[in-house]
Amino acid sequence: MSDPSGGAGPGNAVSWVSQNVVAGLGLILLGVFGVWATGDLPRGTLGAMGPGMLPHWVAVCVAVCGFALAVTGFVRGGEGLQSFGLRGPVVVVLAILAFAVTIRPVSFGPVTTPGLGLIVAGPLAVILGGYASPEARFRELLILALLLTAGCMLLFGDLLNLPIPIFPTALIEAASGKIPSRVMLRLAVGALALIGLGLLLLQRRSSRRAGTDVARHSMTA
Amino acid sequence: MRTALAISLLSVLAAFGAAADTYPQRPITMVVPFAAGGPTDVIARIVAEPMSRVLGQQVVIENVTGAGGTTGITRASQASPDGYTIMMGHMGTHGAAPALFKGLKYDPAKSFDPIGLAAGTPIVIVAKKGMAAPDLKSFVEAVKAGGASINQAHAGVGSVSHSTGVLFDSLIGAKPTLVVYRGTGPALNDLMAGQVDFMTDQIVNVAPQISGGTIKAYAIATPERSPSLPDVPTTKEAGLPDYQVSAWNAVFAPKGLPADVRAKLVAALDTAIKDPNARKRILDLGGTVPKDAEAGPDALQKLVESEVARWTPVLRSAVEANP
Amino acid sequence: MPDLLSNLGLGFAVALSLQNVMLCFLGCLVGTLIGVLPGVGPIATIAMLLPITFGLDPVGALIMLAGIYYGAQYGGSTTAILVNIPGEATSVVTTLDGHQMARQGRAGIALGTAAIASFFAGTVATLLIAALGAPLTRLALIFGPAEYFALMVMGLAFAVVLAHGSVLKAVAMILVGVLFACIGTDLETGEERMTFGFTFLTDGVDFSVLAMGLFGVAEILRNLDNTETREIARARIGRLLPGLADLRQATPATLRGTAIGALLGILPGNGAVLGPFAAYTVEKRIARDPSRFGRGAIEGVAGPESANNAGAQTAFIPLLTLGIPPNAVMALMVGAMTIHGIVPGPGVMTKSPELFWGMIASMWVGNLMLLVINLPLVGVWVRLLKVPYRLMFPAILMFCSIGIYSINSLPTDVMLIAAFGVFGYVLIKFGFEPAPLLLGFVLGKLMEEYLRRALTLSRGDAMVFLERPVSAVLFLVAFTILALALLPSLRKSRDEVFTEA
Repeated sequence: MSDPSGGAGPGNAVSWVSQNVVAGLGLILLGVFGVWATGDLPRGTLGAMGPGMLPHWVAVCVAVCGFALAVTGFVRGGEGLQSFGLRGPVVVVLAILAFAVTIRPVSFGPVTTPGLGLIVAGPLAVILGGYASPEARFRELLILALLLTAGCMLLFGDLLNLPIPIFPTALIEAASGKIPSRVMLRLAVGALALIGLGLLLLQRRSSRRAGTDVARHSMTA
Repeated sequence: MRTALAISLLSVLAAFGAAADTYPQRPITMVVPFAAGGPTDVIARIVAEPMSRVLGQQVVIENVTGAGGTTGITRASQASPDGYTIMMGHMGTHGAAPALFKGLKYDPAKSFDPIGLAAGTPIVIVAKKGMAAPDLKSFVEAVKAGGASINQAHAGVGSVSHSTGVLFDSLIGAKPTLVVYRGTGPALNDLMAGQVDFMTDQIVNVAPQISGGTIKAYAIATPERSPSLPDVPTTKEAGLPDYQVSAWNAVFAPKGLPADVRAKLVAALDTAIKDPNARKRILDLGGTVPKDAEAGPDALQKLVESEVARWTPVLRSAVEANP
Repeated sequence: MPDLLSNLGLGFAVALSLQNVMLCFLGCLVGTLIGVLPGVGPIATIAMLLPITFGLDPVGALIMLAGIYYGAQYGGSTTAILVNIPGEATSVVTTLDGHQMARQGRAGIALGTAAIASFFAGTVATLLIAALGAPLTRLALIFGPAEYFALMVMGLAFAVVLAHGSVLKAVAMILVGVLFACIGTDLETGEERMTFGFTFLTDGVDFSVLAMGLFGVAEILRNLDNTETREIARARIGRLLPGLADLRQATPATLRGTAIGALLGILPGNGAVLGPFAAYTVEKRIARDPSRFGRGAIEGVAGPESANNAGAQTAFIPLLTLGIPPNAVMALMVGAMTIHGIVPGPGVMTKSPELFWGMIASMWVGNLMLLVINLPLVGVWVRLLKVPYRLMFPAILMFCSIGIYSINSLPTDVMLIAAFGVFGYVLIKFGFEPAPLLLGFVLGKLMEEYLRRALTLSRGDAMVFLERPVSAVLFLVAFTILALALLPSLRKSRDEVFTEA
């Protein structure tokens, strides 16, 4: 639809242009885009409907709805635009992308990311994602990341035996034949959990309130 | 900087790798390009179990779905040929795919080291209960005479029922109306209800309905009758000997496997398909276990080549003819 | 009747052996625990847990699997209520009022109501299968492509009623959903539609990816914006279980939901997916004050949840009697059965009665287990809401990513949830609701298939939809619903603008 940053700056709502007008225009754009994107598909006849028939008409209807919405918004007014946060969307998207490109090797044309497995991708998503909130505190997120990752590795890797990559591919090849993979997984889980719990103890000593919060969470993870 | 670091790290690791000489040292991933629970997945899980026992390392199934199985096979074909990534290919991914997917990133006959055939599931020609024709010959005549008024169901472009169905049509020279379904289940439902007239599909999908008497079977496209459907004649007996087709599943590895690794995998698969328990489970499903002449990598390579040659013209013309 | 009793007796004799009760319990427990992870819906849960049943004997394996199925289903509803992430199409409706209840500090009541309504629906549906399974099958065969198309159109009409804001916006969202459903390879011709050359779009967008983005990620983004609302939700926990007054309010909705869900579940063409929507629509239509819906109405949880569970149960009918899996979950069950050497179909009932009736009996046992496991767990789940949001949302992000990755092992799926998350956030900011979009997506896919199939079979004659009686009636219902939804809103829209402003 429309670009989040293109709406209005964070803070006060802009009242002179109604929400519905912009939403309607967005829908029109989406509809036109849909018509364009399905333009090269044969539409066929009723007896032998082609692949383009339904999407084409649905896209047209989307645009019509958008037009109606924009008109009602224009005539009747309505709610103003809401403010958009920028930090949240940007950081959360980055965190999810970080997970996606590190969990296993991904190729973008000539570039291939190294597959680092859950042990890296998990904490990356948690810690990076945590910064979407202005209340983020690094140590707290680190503890959460370590304990959650340990829990997930145990659950998905060991108990459920899912083929989700746990370790960096390079590490797996290096350890191949030296340590059975199960043992390596359990050792890593133990190490992560120990570091996490150690940090948690330190944290609790310094600040009791934050500590209890984390403890509750780790218990349920 | 980072690549330099990675390279040096990798070379150190490679040195370690060379030190560990006996394959396999860690679990082997078998990529199954279809969803868990489908016929290919079931076959893969059945053979993976005895293979794990022979190799002394677990063979883990990874289901990578998408694009008629080609997503998973593409990914597996690009894995390093170290024997730790193998895959379960089938008639679609290694036979029909080149005709159906224009931008296919692998060549079924050239991008792989074949390991061996795992199992086949025979194709049965089935029709709605109310179909008047008493045998295959008169059924073929009826389909030819009916032209576009006959409705033939299939489970989507690229599915086994699609490929084998259009092969049937081109063989007998008929042009029925194709009715498309998402998967075999809904297609069978409409066949039972008499909404469509006939289809061709794998025995495992249609056997219960045939024995239950809700649909009619005209012939099975194998040289011998199947123990699960002893009353259904073969296409040879019924007068259409050229219609010989089976949805096969076979194990492949990415091209460039070290000879000793390959030999171990071939031996493991061979033991697996001779394992009485695995055999029984495949036969219970109505499947067939490869005979000695069909087993092994060389026979598989030949099979792939002949299948690609067989499907390409049939499917190309079918896809072009259908608007 | 004596037949039914002896059959059920046989079934319970099998299901109540110590080993099978334990397996059922274990299945329900594991299913619930995995299914409750945000981002892991029932399909993913069952696919993940399928391998652990391989080592068991067929009866035990199927009983455990059925347990996993119910557990996963209920786990999905739990996440829908607690964190507003529907694990599958049928729990989309539960998010509407269930999550609102959680925000008002009534999470425990919502979860309890869901558990009790599900148990009731499960019990009724089990009896229904045992008594009428075989004759009901005939109903399944009346429905051809034209009828299913009409059914889907009716479902879309429900989707309009579902929304509590502007009808125009709801219609627009449904259409956008249908448009999204068109992405991917065309089933009939194999041509790629709107994939823009990306391989990861050739199979279209996965439901869980879209749901996770529009609900999960977008919800996080919205919560990051307004700190006040979620702090309120945290502060008040309230009662843990529904009281008598709550139950009295929920009972009629549960009864209606059970009937609707059970009926739709029998249809092999994925009719069960409509159950919760239909139940919700009915509740909202007959309520004295429809404006309560979408703001935490208990009937809005009880109705759809009972419909969901009843449908989940009766969906076994086409599977067991016809051998046809009506939906993706059932397709997985078929796979599981074939792995154990049982090919589901009409023969199962006569060939291995202990398996057939054992499984039916274990359905009821499974529902009971669900209640036993989940009522005590409600306290644990509700306490989860106390976790500060700054820690809660990174955890949700991680679970969503792992869950989505584990379904197809595709990193691109994970990237897509980010994209849909931002899209959903923009939608919320413009006053659109994501639920109709998701419905349009689910139904749109089916609708197009049935439409094209019906027209292929009728050789292009559109009158087929009105000539066939069942389809004509369904169309009539759809248009009545639409008219009822549209008329008052056209009349009232002027006032609404003022009240909203």
